[in-house]
Amino acid sequence: MYLQTTTLSETISGLLGLDGVIGDVVGGLVGAFLVANIMLIMTAFAGPWAKRKITAAFGDRIAVNRIGPFGLLTIVTDAVRLLSKELIVPEGVDRPAWDIAPMVIPFSALLGFAVIPMGNGIQLADPETGLAFAFAVASIASLGIVMTGYASNNKFSLIGALRAVAANIAYEIPLVITAASVVIFTGSLRMSEIVAVQAEPLVSVAGITIPTWFAFVNPFAFALFMVANLAEIGRNPFDIPEAPTEIVAGYQTEYSSAYFVLIYLGEFIHIFLGGALAATLFLGGPAGPFLPGFVWFVIKIWAFFLFTQWARSAVPRLRVDQFLDIGWKGMLVLSFANLVLTAIIVGVIA
Amino acid sequence: MIGILKGMAVTLKHALDGQTFTVEYPETAPEVSPRFRGVHKFSQERCIWCRQCENVCPNDTIQIVQDDKRNGEQYNLHIGQCIYCRLCEEVCPVDAILLTQNFEFTADTKNDFVYNKEQLKNVPWYKDIDPLNSRNPDRNAWIGEGEGEVDYQ
Amino acid sequence: MSLEEQQPDDDPAELEAAVSRGDELAELLGDLVIGREEHMNAPGLVVRPDEVQEALFKLRDEAGFDHLSCLTAQEYEDRYESIYHLTSFDDRTDEVSVVVPTSKDNPVSQSAEPVYRTADWHEREAYDLVGIQYEGHPDLRRILLPETWQGHPLGLDYDQERPQIATLREHANPLEKDQRAEQGNTMYVNIGPHHPATHGVLHVETVVDGEQVVDLNPDIGYLHRCEEQMCQQGTYRHQIMPYPDRWDYISAGLLNEWAYARAAEDLADIDVPEYAQIIRTLGAELCRIASHMIALGTFALDVYGDFTAIFMYAMRDREIVQNILEDLTGQRMMFNYFRLGGVVWDLPEPREEFFEKIRDFLDGLPEALEEYHDMITSNEILQARTVGTGVLPPEVAKSYGATGPVARGSGIDYDLRRDDSYGYYDELDWDVVVEDGCDNFSRLLVRMREVEESAKIIQQCVDLLEDWPEDERNIQSNVPRTLKPDEDTEIYRAVEGAKGELGIYIRADGTDKPARFKIRSPCFSNLQTLPEMSEGEYIPDMIASLGSLDIVLGEVDR
Repeated sequence: MYLQTTTLSETISGLLGLDGVIGDVVGGLVGAFLVANIMLIMTAFAGPWAKRKITAAFGDRIAVNRIGPFGLLTIVTDAVRLLSKELIVPEGVDRPAWDIAPMVIPFSALLGFAVIPMGNGIQLADPETGLAFAFAVASIASLGIVMTGYASNNKFSLIGALRAVAANIAYEIPLVITAASVVIFTGSLRMSEIVAVQAEPLVSVAGITIPTWFAFVNPFAFALFMVANLAEIGRNPFDIPEAPTEIVAGYQTEYSSAYFVLIYLGEFIHIFLGGALAATLFLGGPAGPFLPGFVWFVIKIWAFFLFTQWARSAVPRLRVDQFLDIGWKGMLVLSFANLVLTAIIVGVIA
Repeated sequence: MIGILKGMAVTLKHALDGQTFTVEYPETAPEVSPRFRGVHKFSQERCIWCRQCENVCPNDTIQIVQDDKRNGEQYNLHIGQCIYCRLCEEVCPVDAILLTQNFEFTADTKNDFVYNKEQLKNVPWYKDIDPLNSRNPDRNAWIGEGEGEVDYQ
Repeated sequence: MSLEEQQPDDDPAELEAAVSRGDELAELLGDLVIGREEHMNAPGLVVRPDEVQEALFKLRDEAGFDHLSCLTAQEYEDRYESIYHLTSFDDRTDEVSVVVPTSKDNPVSQSAEPVYRTADWHEREAYDLVGIQYEGHPDLRRILLPETWQGHPLGLDYDQERPQIATLREHANPLEKDQRAEQGNTMYVNIGPHHPATHGVLHVETVVDGEQVVDLNPDIGYLHRCEEQMCQQGTYRHQIMPYPDRWDYISAGLLNEWAYARAAEDLADIDVPEYAQIIRTLGAELCRIASHMIALGTFALDVYGDFTAIFMYAMRDREIVQNILEDLTGQRMMFNYFRLGGVVWDLPEPREEFFEKIRDFLDGLPEALEEYHDMITSNEILQARTVGTGVLPPEVAKSYGATGPVARGSGIDYDLRRDDSYGYYDELDWDVVVEDGCDNFSRLLVRMREVEESAKIIQQCVDLLEDWPEDERNIQSNVPRTLKPDEDTEIYRAVEGAKGELGIYIRADGTDKPARFKIRSPCFSNLQTLPEMSEGEYIPDMIASLGSLDIVLGEVDR
């Protein structure tokens, strides 16, 4: 079994000729800087530009096309616009919590990317417990959301935060359990190993080799994972924490200016993290023909982003009780069934 | 599940066919029907100062000032207050006040929307549509004297 | 041949019938009746102010008047008067007006709220604008004006010049500092007046227990312009007609104009040429389609939660209707197209092109509706969200005076176009759409199916207009420039607006302006049912119910 041994930070420290603790620190920081910026650039494209373009395409409209080619410079103007707005601090907000929350949300998502193998050796760290780490840090965002909702001194925010927590508890379990069924196949939580296992051929049909991507091996688990993932990142039909027509903007109602940008950023990075997890666990990570691995990785997470936007165009939002019903009575049962079945199959074959 | 997929198929079809129904407004001027009612145009030469428009106006948009010999002095119209009901045009016996198709008007303050008779005269035609022809085919006997473009100066 | 409804005083037989119905009812009420009046639409029974409930109970239970269509309050030189316009859901032409005079110095009258739930808001409005007190009313507060308002604007001695400023300090402040009760675990939430899903400036005072609505109270009046007073200051002939467009301003303009046209034409005895009636019918149904498209799109918006594709598709189809209406009337929303005695313009030339445009739209409509069905009604999540939520049982709907698609979604077979026919509707072949579900889903379905019916009507109108002989295209009857209906004639007439029964009461005083102009807005009555539908349900369902009521605040507040 091929195991990727060098991480991005090791590569960087190697290139800089540093070793020891200094090498680890410098390599880690530079690597983290690079990876974070890759994600931020993608978010910048997704938020102000791609999302509008996609929504418009679904709604038969013309969208952002005024500034720059294809309206791409909207990204710059939007950034300036949003950041130059006044930061309105409502009366009675719970100050430290209200300020910290917008940092927590995007950074929890960014932390998740530390262990994601993005192809071409771009992986910051490859710990033994990679998968568990990704899930663990991603759910820190819930803490941020609770902080926003509680500290905002706004009832809509509070309802939104409560919904977010309820959603998180209900869907985190099926998400992790479904991911565990993948781990049964691989026998390891290490991300690079999960990717490596999927590179092996499953079947060969007419000269085309289909790899053992777990989406092919266990499509049922893949479907479960996608649904739980949508709920986890709060996209339609599970966008109940924000639910604009019901509770205005949910937990982010009171945020403006830079804080709003941070929360918004966090949401998009979360979508990408969801996409990255789905790609790593079920779609062979950065694997793919012809193109470099990193390009494939980006294509896969953008495909996931497109999917969320597509669902947004046509799938109604569930009511909060129905949403929790599906989570606790449907998803949880199905994911455990999937886990047990996978365990039996793996046990019998192996 | 079938229903959800059907809905998603419909939106995807719309996304992929590339058709849009919105237009890029300032570049693409919208189609305006010949009957459309926009900003007024006033012709002092035609006006006989009968004050019928002032009387019929439902919300006192038109103000006419006459001297003691009933000669017209001022004709003021607050186009920001107007509700574009076209009753003034309808009662006018000489077509001195007309609603053009022009809907594009801006001002810095509300007061700039009070047009006097000079400003009303200078309101441009929209795409050279003469509203009378399209609105009231049987009323252009008076207008129709002399061929060619109607000149409201 | 005139297609106007025969007026009671035109036709001796009908006059007799009306009088005998009046006698019959007077006999039923016995001593309760202290006098008689004749309104142009119905016999009027004068009842003592302290016996209102008894009379109304009798009329409701023994004579079948289960629909309090409207309550008109007005002030005379010597007395106040409340008129209860009663009719029946089964037979709309069977009408009676219960007139309750009260003295000037003590304007107290018994409340009708125990008989008809809808009287709750109607009496509050009468109190607010005219100043009559209703004894036994559960909650007699101002409804349209701020609580600090001084005087009653439609009273005779009201000083219109006096400026009034209601400061937040004096007014019940929706942004009040937080209040905390020692006990209880409910939370008070202001939904609106600036909320994405209230479709305008509606403020819903909501008490929630977790996510469930415990108590709910719509607070209206943010868009109140006193349209009734505006109309009272306009002349019948010209100046009133532009304003109906501004009640239900979401493309239902022609339907509203028809309400005024119908009442005023009956009042002043004006005939409308048949050709003009067909054009009116055509225009009105186009408006209905446009209005239902918006209702559909915004309802989807409320349930789906974002500016989703469906909203845009509905707007796209509405846009086609708007273009047709623009060609016909010259405006996209504020039409001012009807005139007393007809319409202002004939169809636009070239006529073939206009007909072609309408035909193209009608041909494309089934496909568009199919798309909506694919996206909305057949969607399982939407069904889970809407079926069985916002339930409004027929008896409750009737008691609240719900009309239009809201009533028809509750299985009440009631449509003024058929039951009290006007225009050209009774000559055409179409059906009244009724759904028995009583929930949000059936209200949605009613609207979607009504679009199909409207398309059928338009199709027939186009066929008729196309073959109409050229020399008989009479668009307006000869109406004098100044109309002065006889003094003390009173009429209440309603039409089927986009949202339901839109009624107009006019009392003439011999001048060229109405002495009292009262608007019975369907949205006003329909919105009253919201607490009935939503209490005990979740916030999202409350929002969906609000969307399914399809209110327009311009019409609620007037």
